[in-house]
Amino acid sequence: MLRLEGICAGYSVLPVLKDVSLRIERGQFVAIVGPNGAGKTTLFKTISGILRPSAGSIHFEGVDLLGVPASRRPHLGIAHVPEGRQVFPSLSVTENLEMGAFTEAGRRAWKDNIDHIFSLLPVLAERRHQFAGTLSGGEQQMLAIGRGLASAPKFLMLDEPSMGLAPAIADFIFEKLIEIRARTQLTILLVEQRVAEALESADHGYVLEAGRVVLEGNKEALRADDRVRRAYLGM
Amino acid sequence: MTSQIVEDVLQALVAGLLSGAIYGLMCVGLGLIFGVMRVINFAQGDFMMLGMYAAYYLFLAAGIQGIFGNVIGPYVAILLSGPLLFLFGYGIHRLLVSRVTGQRTAGLEGEGHFAQLILTLGVALVLQNGGLILFGSVLASIRTPLSSSAWEIGPLWSDSISIFINKSRGIAALISILAMTALAMLITRTRMGKALRASADNPVAATYMGIDIDRSYRIAFGLGAAVTAVAGGLLATNYPFHPYIGTDYVIVMYAGVVLGGMGSIIGAFWGGMTIGLVQQLATLVLPTQLQNAAIFVVFLLIVFFRPQGFFGRVVERT
Amino acid sequence: MRSLAPILLAALIYTGLTLVVSNSYYQLMLTLVLVWASFGLSWNILSGYTGLISFGHAAFFGLGAYTTALGQIYFDLTPWLLIPIAAAIGAVSGLLVGFPTFRLRGHYFALAMLAYPLAMLYVFEWLGYQELTLPIKREAPFAYMQFSDPRLYTLVALGLLLGIVLITRAVERSRFGMALLAIKQNEAAAEAAGINTLAWKLRSIVLSGAIAGAVGAFYAVVLLVVTPSSVFGMLVSAQALTVAMFGGVGTLWGPLIGAAALIPVGEILNAELSARLPGIQGVIYGIAIIVVILVAPEGIFWTLRDRMKRSARATAGILPDLTAPATSPAPNAPASIVRLQRITSREVLLSVRGLSKSFGGLKAVQDVNFDVHHGTILGIIGPNGAGKTTLFNLLNGFLPPSSGEVMLDGRNMIGCKPHVLCRAGVGRTFQIMRPFARMSVRDNVRVGAYVQAASEQEAHRLAADAVNRVGLSQVADRVAAELTTKQLRLMEIARALAGKPRLLLLDETLAGLGHGEVDEVTAVVQRLAREGITIAIIEHTMLSMVRLVDRFLVLDHGAVLADGEPQHITRDQRVIEAYLGKKWVAYAQT
Repeated sequence: MLRLEGICAGYSVLPVLKDVSLRIERGQFVAIVGPNGAGKTTLFKTISGILRPSAGSIHFEGVDLLGVPASRRPHLGIAHVPEGRQVFPSLSVTENLEMGAFTEAGRRAWKDNIDHIFSLLPVLAERRHQFAGTLSGGEQQMLAIGRGLASAPKFLMLDEPSMGLAPAIADFIFEKLIEIRARTQLTILLVEQRVAEALESADHGYVLEAGRVVLEGNKEALRADDRVRRAYLGM
Repeated sequence: MTSQIVEDVLQALVAGLLSGAIYGLMCVGLGLIFGVMRVINFAQGDFMMLGMYAAYYLFLAAGIQGIFGNVIGPYVAILLSGPLLFLFGYGIHRLLVSRVTGQRTAGLEGEGHFAQLILTLGVALVLQNGGLILFGSVLASIRTPLSSSAWEIGPLWSDSISIFINKSRGIAALISILAMTALAMLITRTRMGKALRASADNPVAATYMGIDIDRSYRIAFGLGAAVTAVAGGLLATNYPFHPYIGTDYVIVMYAGVVLGGMGSIIGAFWGGMTIGLVQQLATLVLPTQLQNAAIFVVFLLIVFFRPQGFFGRVVERT
Repeated sequence: MRSLAPILLAALIYTGLTLVVSNSYYQLMLTLVLVWASFGLSWNILSGYTGLISFGHAAFFGLGAYTTALGQIYFDLTPWLLIPIAAAIGAVSGLLVGFPTFRLRGHYFALAMLAYPLAMLYVFEWLGYQELTLPIKREAPFAYMQFSDPRLYTLVALGLLLGIVLITRAVERSRFGMALLAIKQNEAAAEAAGINTLAWKLRSIVLSGAIAGAVGAFYAVVLLVVTPSSVFGMLVSAQALTVAMFGGVGTLWGPLIGAAALIPVGEILNAELSARLPGIQGVIYGIAIIVVILVAPEGIFWTLRDRMKRSARATAGILPDLTAPATSPAPNAPASIVRLQRITSREVLLSVRGLSKSFGGLKAVQDVNFDVHHGTILGIIGPNGAGKTTLFNLLNGFLPPSSGEVMLDGRNMIGCKPHVLCRAGVGRTFQIMRPFARMSVRDNVRVGAYVQAASEQEAHRLAADAVNRVGLSQVADRVAAELTTKQLRLMEIARALAGKPRLLLLDETLAGLGHGEVDEVTAVVQRLAREGITIAIIEHTMLSMVRLVDRFLVLDHGAVLADGEPQHITRDQRVIEAYLGKKWVAYAQT
């Protein structure tokens, strides 16, 4: 469904990704793990279109994404739950979700979708008129995920959903992800620092370090590999 | 003697509310542009000037006067000038402003946004002086027979206190409030309005949602121009104007927006209202020429002591 | 380093032109070009160099003009005396304006600066000075600067301009100019490099105001009539800005080129067309501003110079050599990274006790305690959002802590501003580098030297020394725009070194470097530690850190998780848990 080949990307004085290639099949749950500075968020920004790669190609369902501007990509069915939640603080919970449903597919599916989202994430239903800026970190993360689901996507990307959250809340978020996977059969790409949580429900994992893919495999293979620990801690 | 003072104060208050309503609408136009795009637009006063002249020519030269007459005609012309200025603002953004928003001119790094300031300063100069060429320096105004009659409220309490509300100013204030309400509905209830607010709150996240923020910015710019233009037209039914009038009101608009809290559209309205009140109340104690200076002083005081303003929720951009 | 020759040559040509021209209108124009060039130079000193755009220079200009008018009308003083007085008034106003206004950020600063002259306009109108005419002094025309031959005005203006040019030149080449440019480039980094940014900004506005006042005073003499809008109006401020921006921001030549280009055009158009097209001058200036911002935002001077340099390099076949190693082998550096035995003192240089910082409800740093011994390298690591950069900002003086102490050599440094800390021996590099692209490596490094150098020579010496110590002597004369990322990082370190720090805070110095480059930079850092500098470094690239540092401080959620030697830290359960998650540890044990 999504294919990256030879992606090199970075910022003006800082090259970050060096020759990254990966594939995600329809219906798969893929996790990308790696330490800070490895380039996980840069990778996301490249797929979303915020950042333009200096080399390489990205194809989504056969469409060359490099010709598609960032604001059009969600309309192809790519939903992005960004790092740090990035909710719209002065809009209410419902309005945030409405913004998620900005796409054609989202608008058509809105009536049913909103019920599904509220049943999946009841705390959002409780606070539906509250300003998103006043929600707690965990609630905002759930809102961001709900917002992603509201666009009725084919492909859901999540960037470090556990960051900045207390461990118990982060665990809750991961459980929700497993539930979403079970309910919707969406194709999911999860980027996380917490390796074990990320690999928990993933079919396949990539380990990113210093801008390169250093290791890939299914979860059993990766869990047993000490190279993962070394990628994070150096020795 | 005291009843005279009371009457003067009440009259000034009423006058302040009336002109404050129009100022409020004017400030909302700037507030839209600044709130959504964080662009400082020097040319906002000149958009207002263009709105005044657009209404003027629509009324006199485009036949509106013939169709609608002298009483309703001016207001129709003013409302029509709105869409005209929307297109103008949209075009200015598309051609010029969009080339400098989000970028920084390398030699002026450090504080950011200066390219916008300077670009809009250039636009302001072109508009003012171009206006001088096109329209001449003779004072113009949009006369309506309503401007010479007034409603009387009173006598109140004792026999000698009466408040007069000039009909023309009263109607202008009323239309301002209606326009403000319509705009508020647009921003809060419609999908496009919410998309604008989302773009203002968090442009990156808005892009992730599939919102074309460049288009949002253009719409906000056009809308801001249109709103201020309509406010200008309403102002023109009571005061004469000339191509340089924009400069006189730039500081009024910025004072109102800063007072209301930069980023809050509703706040801008209240800020403008406050400025109107301050100005009219100042007439009680200050000579005419110093009134405008008083506004400057108020502006500087706010900027120094309470830059986040007083009204509305100022939300930090993510 | 330009010599005075081109300026003197231009002055000579201009004098020749003046003597030749006979039409009185063109003579006036020649004078006006010089006046606006001078005004543009004054604007440049504040806004061109520091990047704080002022839309209100008309305030100083107008005050100067009114000084002449009122001084001559009421006190019968001569302009020869009034112009210096106007300069003094301009200087004082600059100080009065600058002190409160510099506290404002970004657009608020611009708007406030806009408000001052416009407010003064209304005040002067109210005072009744709608139109002041300077009295004609037939008895002593020369003493009152009233020349019958207009060309004399031009010559006086030329003298004034030359004086201003000399002042600007002196500023540009000295620590004054460097401080201002550093502020424009990155104010935080300038503070951290020891520059007292507020003091330099004030000096800049005082000088700028003084010059603007003097120019305004002269302008009144030339025109003989002063009205509030002609000296306080928006077009006046806009002209200073346009002339400088069009010609070139932040350079001596900018306003000169801008004035020479725009003023004649504006004036001629005004003369020819103002009857049919009043306001054509304003339209031209407006268009000029728009075109410049869109096409050549730094002005004609820089755009032309860059273009000429690029074509010169192309024709000579010289391209920036990015592949060849441009770092000279540093003295006594071993080829491979081996843990070097350093003679480290047992003494503690930096001691942090109970350091905490909260933002509202968010505890960014919680009760952090650690010591750094002389000559050691401390690595500060932790997952994203752990508070590492906040910690540095606390150590550096950018943030005041909510509680706790930071003791440098036993002295509590809490509450000191960054430039004071720099003087006390704390140097810092930043994640996002913003060098002076057009200046050489040596000049870039020199900015950091002024905190310790008493003279220009000493600053040059310290800079050259720092450049050598990081191994950049081979590229010392290259402009920063041509450097690779690794060289830029080394240059950052050199800039901090030039301030003779005892404690060096390195913020993600290794980010984005390839394997070989990481080794090179790591070798430099190790060598610096051996020379006695204490180093604290934040990094993500663990592999190189592990071989570089003596101790690790691991932060998580703002609190210290572990503190110890690398081989213990990387196997510490809690650390692994923080990075890889609790479940990982559980699996690792099964």
